[in-house]
Amino acid sequence: MPEPVGFFTDTTLCIGCKACQVACHQWNDLPSRVPLPVLSGNSYDNTGSLSDLNWRHVKFIEQFSPDRNQAAWLMMSDVCKHCANAPCLEVCPTGALLRTEFDTVYINEPACNGCRDCIAACPFGVIHTSPSKGVAQKCTFCYDRLQHGLTPSCAQACPTQSILFGPLKQLQEKARARVAQLHKQGVEEAQLYGVDDNVLGGLNAFYLLVDKPETYGLPSEPKLPSRRVPRSSVAAIVAGILSLLGAVFAFRERTRRGRTPAAAPGEGGTR
Amino acid sequence: MNLFVADPQWGWWIILYFFLGGIAAGAYFQALVMDVVGNDEDRELARAGYWLAFPLIALCGLFLTVDLSQPTRFWHMLFRSELVDAAPAAGWRLLAGAPLLKYWSPMSVGSWALTLFGLCSFLSFLGSLWPGGRLERLLRHGILGRVVAATGCGVGLFVASYTGVLLTATNQPFWSDNVLIGALFLTSAASTGLAAMLLLARVWGIGSPGALARLGKADRWALTLELVVFVSFLAAAGGWLVPVLRTWHGLVLVAGTLVVGLLAPLAVHRFADVSGRRAALALSALVLAGGFLLRYGLVTTPGELLERGPAVVDGAAAAAQKNPVSRVVHGDPTQPVGFSPEDGRLQGDGPGADPGNRRPDFRPRSKVFNGD
Repeated sequence: MPEPVGFFTDTTLCIGCKACQVACHQWNDLPSRVPLPVLSGNSYDNTGSLSDLNWRHVKFIEQFSPDRNQAAWLMMSDVCKHCANAPCLEVCPTGALLRTEFDTVYINEPACNGCRDCIAACPFGVIHTSPSKGVAQKCTFCYDRLQHGLTPSCAQACPTQSILFGPLKQLQEKARARVAQLHKQGVEEAQLYGVDDNVLGGLNAFYLLVDKPETYGLPSEPKLPSRRVPRSSVAAIVAGILSLLGAVFAFRERTRRGRTPAAAPGEGGTR
Repeated sequence: MNLFVADPQWGWWIILYFFLGGIAAGAYFQALVMDVVGNDEDRELARAGYWLAFPLIALCGLFLTVDLSQPTRFWHMLFRSELVDAAPAAGWRLLAGAPLLKYWSPMSVGSWALTLFGLCSFLSFLGSLWPGGRLERLLRHGILGRVVAATGCGVGLFVASYTGVLLTATNQPFWSDNVLIGALFLTSAASTGLAAMLLLARVWGIGSPGALARLGKADRWALTLELVVFVSFLAAAGGWLVPVLRTWHGLVLVAGTLVVGLLAPLAVHRFADVSGRRAALALSALVLAGGFLLRYGLVTTPGELLERGPAVVDGAAAAAQKNPVSRVVHGDPTQPVGFSPEDGRLQGDGPGADPGNRRPDFRPRSKVFNGD
C-alpha cells in the first residue's frame, strides 16, 4: 500500500501564471471554454472559477485600500482538497466517488449517473457536471500519473514551487516550518488551512494563507453531511409519530365503537 | 452559511418530485391507517389514497430518472454498477449479489425506500381496482395485508421525510443550517396527501359525509402539526432567516407556506363547514398550493443566495464569522460522531465511506497510459 500523498500550496509563492491550469488541461485532455473567456471587468483573472473544465483554478484576490492608493494581490491555486472526511464521497449513492490507494478522492466516470448530490455536498464548490459527458468532474490528483510514479502535472509545472507534491507527512512538516519562518520574518497573518484534522479530518490538499480563509473563498466551518442526519431523523420520527397518532385518532371508529357502541351512530351522522 | 459552494441545479423535476412524492406518501400512509382503524365507509375513502399513491410515485420515478444527467444509469443508485457491468453474463444472480446501500446517505437509502414504496403502493393500487375482489380481501385480512400495511406505513413516512433530511445533509446555504426540513416535509406530506384525497373524493363523488368529516378532522390535525413544525423550522433558522427573507424565493417559501398553506386553510376549518363541497374544494386547493410553494421556495432559495453572494448575508455573516480562525471546527461538536464510516476517519485510514464499486481490473482513465 503506497503512503498518503498530498499537495501543499503556499500562496505566498504563487505568481498567478496559471501554468498549473494549463498543465492540468493538457494532461487530462480538458478542452478550453468556447467562446474563449474574456476579461470579466471585476478582476484580471480571466478563467473565472473551478468548473467541469477547470480542475485547477488560480484565484486572483485583488485588495485595495479605501482610497485605492494601495493594492495587494493574493493568489491561490485552488483545487479539490481530497478531504480525509470527504462530503462528496460520503453522500455519493452510486459509489462512483471512491478513495484511491494514495488516499485521494477520485470520480470513476462510468459509475456516475449525474445525480449531483456530490455538488450539493462539497463545501468548496469543487465539483461540477460536464454537459457533454453528463457526469461529475473534478481533479483526479492525476491518479494515472501517481500509479506510474509521476508527480501530478500541476505540481510538475509550477515554476515557483507554490504547489508542492509529496508524501503527506513530509509536506505537513514542511508547511509548519514555513509558517514558523514567515512568523519570524514578521508575516504574522500566515496560517495553515486544512493541515490538521480541524477541517474535515484534514485536507490532503492544504494551504498556507496570509489572510482569513473566507478572503480566499474557503469556508471556516465546512460540514460533514452525515453529522446532521441523526438529529434530522429524530425530528422526522417524532413528527411521523405525531402525524400517525393524529390519523389514528381521527379514524378510530372501530376501537371506539367497541368500547361505547351507543356513541358511534352520532359521530358524523353515519350508520 | 457557506456561500462558497456550487449550485447542484436541482430544478423543476426535483421540486415536482418533492411535491407529488409527498402527496403520494402522505395519502398512502393515511389510507393505510383508515383501512386498519376505520370503518367500511373510511375504507371506501381509503381507495382514493391508493389511487393517488401508486400513479404519483410512478410519475415521480420518471421525474427522478429524467433529472439524472445519465438517465439510463438510474439503477446505479441500487446496485454496484461496475461489478454488474464487468460480468454481464452472470445477469440477475450478480445483480442480487451486488446491492449498494449507504445507510448514512439519504439519497442511497431513499432510492431503496422508493423502490419498496412502489411495490407496496402497487399492491394496494391493484387491490383497490377491484373493490371486494380477492386481492383486496387478502390485503385486508391476510398476513400479506398486515405485512404490506406495516411496511407501507413505514416506508410511506420515510419517503415523506427523507427528502428533507437529504437537503440538510449537504453544505448548501440554508439547507444545511436547519435540521427540521425532514420533519417539515413529513407534516406537509400528511396535509397535502389528505387534501389530495379530499379533492379526489369530492370530484369523483365518493365517500360518505361521515367519512369525509373524519378526513376533515385528520386534516385539521395535520395542518396544526405542520404549523407548529413550520414555526419551529423558522426559529431553528435563527439569524439566517434575515438573509433568506431578502431573497424572492425565501419570501415565497415563508409567506407562501404560512399564508396559503397553513393560515388560510386553518381559517377555512375554523369558519366554514368542510363537509360542504365548496369549502372542501377551497381547502384542498389552498393546502396543495401551499405545499407546492413550500417545496418550490425551499429548493430554490440556496441558488438565489449563492447568486446574490455575500452582500445578501452581510450583517448576519459578520456576527457569525467575527473570528474565523478560532472557529475552524470540525462540523458541529454537539452532533453525534461516527454515524458514517467517513466520520472520524484519519488520513491514510482505509476506504471510509467508499462502498467498493469497482471492477477487478479497474484502471483510472488516462489519455496517455490507457489511450482513453
